[in-house]
Amino acid sequence: MLTVRDLRVTFSVDGRARVRAVDGVSFDLERGGAMGVVGETGAGKTTLARALLGLHPTECVQGSVRLDGRELVGLSEEEWRAVRWRRIALVVQSVGTALDPVYRVGEQIGEPMRFHLGLSPAEAWARAEEVARRVGLSSRHLRAYPHQLSGGEKQRALLAMALACDPDVLVLDEPTSGQDMLSRARLLDLLAGLRRERGTGLLVISHDLAAVARLAERVAVLYAGKVVEMGPTEAVFGDPRHPYTWGLVHSYPDMSTARDLRSIRGHPPDPVGPPPGCRFHPRCTQAVERCRHEEPPMVEMNGRRVACHLGGLQTLLRAEGLRKVFLVENGDAREPLEAVRDVYLEIREGEVVALVGETGSGKTTLGRMLVGLLSPDGGRVVLEGRDLTAARGQERRLLARRVQLVPQDPFDAVNPRMTVAEVVREPLEVQKIGTPQEREERVRSVLRAVGLPTDPEFLALHAHELSGGQLQRVVIARALVLEPKLLIADEPVAMLDPSEQARVLNLLKEIQVERGLALLLISHDLALVRKVADRILVMQGGRIVEEGPGSRVVTQPAHEHTRALLESAPRLRT
Amino acid sequence: MRRLSAEARFGLVVLALFGAVALLAPLLAPYDPHAFSGAPLERPSRAHPLGTNDVGHDILSELIYGTRISLAVALAAGAGTVLIGTLIGGMAGYAGGWADRLLMRLVDGMMSLPRLPLLILLIAFLGSGLPQTILVISLLFWPTTARVVRAHVQSIRTRGYVRMARLFGGGHLYVFFRHILPQIAPVVAHGLVVSAGHAVAMEAGLAFLGLGDPTAKSWGLMVRFALNLPGLFLTGRWAWWALPPALCITLLILALTFVGIGTERAFNPRLNRRWQ
Repeated sequence: MLTVRDLRVTFSVDGRARVRAVDGVSFDLERGGAMGVVGETGAGKTTLARALLGLHPTECVQGSVRLDGRELVGLSEEEWRAVRWRRIALVVQSVGTALDPVYRVGEQIGEPMRFHLGLSPAEAWARAEEVARRVGLSSRHLRAYPHQLSGGEKQRALLAMALACDPDVLVLDEPTSGQDMLSRARLLDLLAGLRRERGTGLLVISHDLAAVARLAERVAVLYAGKVVEMGPTEAVFGDPRHPYTWGLVHSYPDMSTARDLRSIRGHPPDPVGPPPGCRFHPRCTQAVERCRHEEPPMVEMNGRRVACHLGGLQTLLRAEGLRKVFLVENGDAREPLEAVRDVYLEIREGEVVALVGETGSGKTTLGRMLVGLLSPDGGRVVLEGRDLTAARGQERRLLARRVQLVPQDPFDAVNPRMTVAEVVREPLEVQKIGTPQEREERVRSVLRAVGLPTDPEFLALHAHELSGGQLQRVVIARALVLEPKLLIADEPVAMLDPSEQARVLNLLKEIQVERGLALLLISHDLALVRKVADRILVMQGGRIVEEGPGSRVVTQPAHEHTRALLESAPRLRT
Repeated sequence: MRRLSAEARFGLVVLALFGAVALLAPLLAPYDPHAFSGAPLERPSRAHPLGTNDVGHDILSELIYGTRISLAVALAAGAGTVLIGTLIGGMAGYAGGWADRLLMRLVDGMMSLPRLPLLILLIAFLGSGLPQTILVISLLFWPTTARVVRAHVQSIRTRGYVRMARLFGGGHLYVFFRHILPQIAPVVAHGLVVSAGHAVAMEAGLAFLGLGDPTAKSWGLMVRFALNLPGLFLTGRWAWWALPPALCITLLILALTFVGIGTERAFNPRLNRRWQ
């Protein structure tokens, strides 16, 4: 019904700089269908909504918007009148200013009908009452002036106004913003009902992912004026493919998860001078050289479309059937102990995965195999498509830059004869990276990143002169100095006191977001890791017995071992 | 600086004295030890404080120049022993597995051999001379050092920072020289001192048995020549001819042993506690 092709909206600022607020958006909306458009503030969502209603000066809008085959772009203001409100209506975001304070609400709801359908004031009022009832307003509300209504009621009045002429397409710009949860739920019910009963097509523009998920079966993700991912809502939100979608979904507050909010590193780009190439590349965790220069095309892949050179979120590390058997002395015999049995796992770019299990479940052994410290007895580890298990020599050395480990005991992990500066610099020396000055600078910057001083006195300290928390930060700094893509942290806070635990964990999380690295957090403490983990793997007896999103594993544990771990998690009050 | 025990300080002082004597030998010695500076078998006098030997060499000068030989052998053979011992022990401890088993069986084999007869056999085969002496001592005495080094390397190898260095991409040689060798430096130093002591004793023994370098007049050789004189003990000549070199040998070994004990305390904190 509504066909949008390559829609572009360009503004000129100060008559010179050109801002392309919407850049080549295409989608289709069927009769009775619903489409969501999500994205951060400034992504061009509202500009898109207004463009669909012909509310921008004609010269600003290029491309094509067809409603039942009729081209809307380039219509004169006169021609728009027959279309706006009757065929396509908009519920604007700014509730406060959209209603005229000197007219009664009922009059304003009736106005489009008088104007577009030629009804008399009395007929219009009567129909306004009918429409208002549908959106949950009574005649009392209609007789009131806008300032006498609450924000939610005003929103309903605007909705009633948009519905007055029974449009084919309803564009809703942030319909749920500023509403409390209960009126939001009622509004969503109302819109869903409307769609069902009248076949009204909905275009829901919102940063409220849950509202979009509830209303729309298809969704487009907008970033800096471009659609980066589009497809069935369930698929896009449930299994995001574009790194931006992934970040957006994971920064959304969700009742079902115990995790703290994640944020996407950096800020949305300045619309006046968007970055070249893929516009998301400065914030993307997996950007490659090509992303900096070349704009990614939209590519169709399993029922959705993604604009990413790499075909969407990459798998960073994959373990395939890892096995490790230790021989344990038992009297005279040596008995095999299967520490890790047939473990498959995947870690994607920028993801925080927690590996949880009790002592002796094989977590550390698995972690060591994943970084290549221990060679597996079976299976293999694939890091960015290269076999880590088989890598030797120079290849192995280069792979070491991509994955690093923060071990459990910082005191054991640092040579007692080396100073802080020497410890943090060591990986750079081993890898022969940079000149001595550059190394010095990198050591300082990475120490600053972990919140440690960089004065010469501190740099000359030895391990035994530092506190546990400081030393763990030094170890983290050393792991970061090679700028790995994946950090495996084996019980990184287990040796620290509780307040230091929280600080170091927050630091890890911050660094993870800031540097865009993936984090595998190995821990026995489910209560602690659920705060940061996007995904949780539960390990028992060398096997992964449960795997799922952090929220699901914590709220609906499927395996009895997970339940046992949850029940034994510390509680201050029962 | 760490406080040194009285023994260690005594040892260091004695070593320093011997060192000074060796270095300043031409200044200290009244005569050339190979010059016929007096009549044979003179008794101690103002001109020859320790008298002369059977061919008229000044005994004091012989003693002073002998310090050079004894110390050179101690240093060279000690270093050779420790070098071989550290290499083999380090390799066994670091590599582990079959390489460790193989090397340690070699060590066991070496240690079960009677060393002195073997020493004599080897010298007889290689010919007597200072380099041969040093080589043979090094070849026979490394197993002790190897064992100690291996034990230490084995424990350091499992430390987290060694694993981490491998993880950064460091090769085995890098790990060994950067992280393991500095940690075992005290052990190696101790081995050096102890082996030096052994070397002194061995060299003296070989020289005494007539298997030393006949041209390098060491303390052992002096004792041998003195004992060759019939009636040495009857005439009382032993007191200024045989006794001084024997005392020097004993003192040097004692000093090295004391320093050895001192260096051992540097890496063995348990000893430290007991000795406090």
